[in-house]
Amino acid sequence: MTRLLAFRFLQAVMVALLVGALTFLLMSLLPGDAAYRIAAGRYGYDMVSTAAAEAVRAELGLDQPVIWRFLAWIGDLATLDLGHSLVSGKPVMEAVAHELGSSIRLAIGAVALSFVMGPPLGVMAGLRPGSVFDRCLLLLTTVTRAVPHFVLGVVLVIVFAVSLGLVPSAGHGTLAHTVLPTLTLALGLAAVSSRVARDATIDVAASAYYGFGRLKGLSSFSLFTRHGLRNIGVPVVTYLGVQLVYLIEGVVVVETLFAWPGIGHGLVHAIVQRDVPMVQGTALAMGLMFVVLNTLVDLANHWIDPRGRKV
Amino acid sequence: MTPLLRTEALEIRTAEHQLVEPLSIELHSGKALTIIGETGSGKSLFAQGVVGNLPAGLHAHGKIYFGSGFSEDGLACGRHKLWGREIAVLPQEPWLSLDPTMRACAQVIETYTHIGGRTTSDARRQAQADMHQLGLVGAENKYPFQLSGGMAQRLAFAATHAGGAPVIIADEPTKGLDRARIGEVIALLKAGLASGGGLLIITHDIEVARRLGGDVMIMVKGKVVEAGPADKVLNYPQHDYTQSLMAADPACWPARPFQNRSGEPVVSISSLSSIRGDRTLFQGLSFDVRPGEIVGVTGPSGCGKSTLGDIILGLAAAQTGTLQRKTGVPRTAFQKLYQDPVAAFPTSVTLGRNLADLVRLHRLDSSRIPVLMKRLRLEPVLLERYPTNVSGGELQRFSLLRVLMLDPVFIFADEPSSRLDLITQREMIELLVEAADERATAVLLVSHDEALINAVSDQRIRLTAPDERTQYARSEPRQSAIAPNG
Amino acid sequence: MNLETVAVNTAPPAQVTSRLWGIGLFLLLVLFAIAVPLLWQVDIAKQDYTAILSGPAEAHPLGTDHLGRDMLARLAAAVRLSLGLALVSVMTAAVPGVLLGVVAAWKGGAVDKLLGLLSEMFLALPGLLLVLLIVAIFPGSFLALYGAVSLVLWIEYFRMTRALSRTVLASPAVSASRLLGFGPLYIIRRHLWPELSPVLMTIAAFGAASAIMAIAALGFISVGVRPPTAELGLMITELLPYYAEAPIVIALPILVILLIILSLMLIAGGRKR
Repeated sequence: MTRLLAFRFLQAVMVALLVGALTFLLMSLLPGDAAYRIAAGRYGYDMVSTAAAEAVRAELGLDQPVIWRFLAWIGDLATLDLGHSLVSGKPVMEAVAHELGSSIRLAIGAVALSFVMGPPLGVMAGLRPGSVFDRCLLLLTTVTRAVPHFVLGVVLVIVFAVSLGLVPSAGHGTLAHTVLPTLTLALGLAAVSSRVARDATIDVAASAYYGFGRLKGLSSFSLFTRHGLRNIGVPVVTYLGVQLVYLIEGVVVVETLFAWPGIGHGLVHAIVQRDVPMVQGTALAMGLMFVVLNTLVDLANHWIDPRGRKV
Repeated sequence: MTPLLRTEALEIRTAEHQLVEPLSIELHSGKALTIIGETGSGKSLFAQGVVGNLPAGLHAHGKIYFGSGFSEDGLACGRHKLWGREIAVLPQEPWLSLDPTMRACAQVIETYTHIGGRTTSDARRQAQADMHQLGLVGAENKYPFQLSGGMAQRLAFAATHAGGAPVIIADEPTKGLDRARIGEVIALLKAGLASGGGLLIITHDIEVARRLGGDVMIMVKGKVVEAGPADKVLNYPQHDYTQSLMAADPACWPARPFQNRSGEPVVSISSLSSIRGDRTLFQGLSFDVRPGEIVGVTGPSGCGKSTLGDIILGLAAAQTGTLQRKTGVPRTAFQKLYQDPVAAFPTSVTLGRNLADLVRLHRLDSSRIPVLMKRLRLEPVLLERYPTNVSGGELQRFSLLRVLMLDPVFIFADEPSSRLDLITQREMIELLVEAADERATAVLLVSHDEALINAVSDQRIRLTAPDERTQYARSEPRQSAIAPNG
Repeated sequence: MNLETVAVNTAPPAQVTSRLWGIGLFLLLVLFAIAVPLLWQVDIAKQDYTAILSGPAEAHPLGTDHLGRDMLARLAAAVRLSLGLALVSVMTAAVPGVLLGVVAAWKGGAVDKLLGLLSEMFLALPGLLLVLLIVAIFPGSFLALYGAVSLVLWIEYFRMTRALSRTVLASPAVSASRLLGFGPLYIIRRHLWPELSPVLMTIAAFGAASAIMAIAALGFISVGVRPPTAELGLMITELLPYYAEAPIVIALPILVILLIILSLMLIAGGRKR
């Protein structure tokens, strides 16, 4: 358990280093005077003067060798001093905290919805492998998985927003706005989790303990509820960890498509506007969100599967 | 007295073929019926036909009668309702048969509540009493992966037994167990018999049949060739097959004549010790292996028998001690036979290709291959097959051939026959011994079977089970009981 | 005859047939990408003001986009771009991934730990995020896009190769071969490669699929390749506002990207991800 948390902590540190290094590179490669830009980032464009830029240059040692500047950059990161947006001048932390909230709402909604759709269908198919229902589900999930998020999103927009006019296509605020982005992410996740649940159901049904439970005299129903569900749940939860990559990637694309004011949307905007502190803040937040979600999946796994627990 | 279970001309078949000939059996209270047969003889299929859980595509034909008065055609599946209540099936691999995510006690309780129809508190009390009786105190809240193999076996027995079914069917319940554990299983089964139950047991182990007594049936290729009381059939076999089966039991093998081995040792070991994790497997081990000598190593599972051989071959490292291999011979003169022959061959090439690779690598004389194949009773057609398409006995002899091509001075045979049926095992071991004698090759033969080692070895090493707790407290070597076989 | 083996399920392997379908579909797409520029020599940037958002017609068999550019030529170019970039990245990633994986498994110890840590470091960030950041540093650069995708893809090769090689190298079969005097090359040829090659095929197909999805996703959010390059994701973004006027025109890139990913998924085989 502690090993596991230690590993995730290490991963978080790696995320910070990687993001820090890449954004430092981004900063160094931007045209123009870095000191001037950083000063602007700190104090806002109106307040910047040559004197302020010189102060920054001296303070950050921009005339120092690259390695020192890099260490200073990472030092700021370590103290969570993310600076100010080059565009709006607002503190990055503030903007990121706001965006992170709406992204997490979207992600959790998507995972929850995918769990309502995917595993039940998968279990139903797995109980009767080879049946018409199983084949139909296979076809459906294969096609869904072959569709990138943004294409899925576009198709949903075209069908539900533009053609049928049921829900708004973009924006944020009401519940109706959350329907399409959540559904887009959830469909992709459910396509995978239903397959995992299906295969797990078949494995469990073929397992020695399931056969033994039947021979003990348990009815099909108690056999399934007592020995089936929990064991099917183990790989489904484990696989959620693998799916998190898909979820985070999906957040970037889906938020951009639906103009959802989340962290992915913020990241893409920052990149397009070359707002380096914002790029760093949002990328860092996304990376850390990935690590935290992974940790949550680890904990869920730990809770559901006793074999992972060290005694 | 009406039997607890009776079959009338029950046969097992696919749509086209008959797999097990019509067989009528009777199970009586307090008495065991053992069906003995080799792998693939159809004995397990018959048991599954009785229970009614044959794999898809196979069917049972004939009649089945139960003590309660229920009877039906083999094809029907009304007896599913009797599972757990009338007929209990002991799992083959208890570890895999317990729900990995459910606590031990709950697996027994559920039989009482769901099959016995008891209240939860009553069931809990009863389950705890059962576990107490079976020596599972303290294991109630553990998960199966935290139990030892023996505990899992007893827990599975408790979970099966709780349904109160009078008939117990056990399919190879001793498969892969060492002697001590086999004794435990037999004690459990005997306890069931003593309380008035009936037992149908399927096994390949003659010793199990002998100790359970009752009646035995010998099955070959889906057909019972001999049946009768255990002591009669097992001691005075009539049928040719039964006779060869009994003769193949290592306990009946003629002892190896004593020979004085002289000559410079091939391997010389002094005060060798090995530690795995925090357990000392063995320490202070000293012995010599001389040309042509067969050194038998026995001991319970996990005692380091195989590690000893691997250390000699250089595949594992020893903690302390010295190891002297004969000088002046190439490294390839020290060879190994593996427990699972399939795992010892590259699966992507045919056996012939594998040999050809070896011949080319060492510039060997390929004309020796047909001679050796004949000597080891291997058909030339095997050369065109892949290792997965050859029977275990043939493949193990083929690995012996592969090893003999290199003229070894020392062969480490790691349980080379533990996966083989009795008759095949005898053939394999005989050929190994003969080959060793013909070329004066030394053999370190590791086995869990005391009788087998007794029969063939010149020198014996007995390793004892490592004791995790007291290991470090002891200063003197606690094993290395070396007794030349006289 | 062994009676117990009679019961073994003899259902035909559904994976093989679906893989054949995948390969067939993939070859058709490759043919489309190669044959169109040979038979239909139209500049992908040339605008035809007489036909804007037109449906299929003689002059433009698959219609035109909002700027009057020929869809057939643009789609073929986009498929060429996606497949080409994906294949090159998959190949580039395979070599270091497999080699390092074998080295890590073979050497063990510190080398294994170090390489494992390196791969963990890259895994700390979701692949698309890494690609996004690298592409942000070098905007509009093909080389950066290709490098970033390869940088993400090598990890899967490395991890699978390392895990598989570890099992194979620890197997009795390899230890038997070593005892018989065979050297590393033989062990690689007879033991490792036969086990690795089918898995590598699957990883390559999945890798190509995720590379194509990543490129398209970047195009879609206007961070990847720049207009007027024909790229599937970019085309979908550009055409999205004109959905109502020309539904067929936007349906085309969607269909093409679906077919590409589907063919790769079928090649990779049903399980995993």
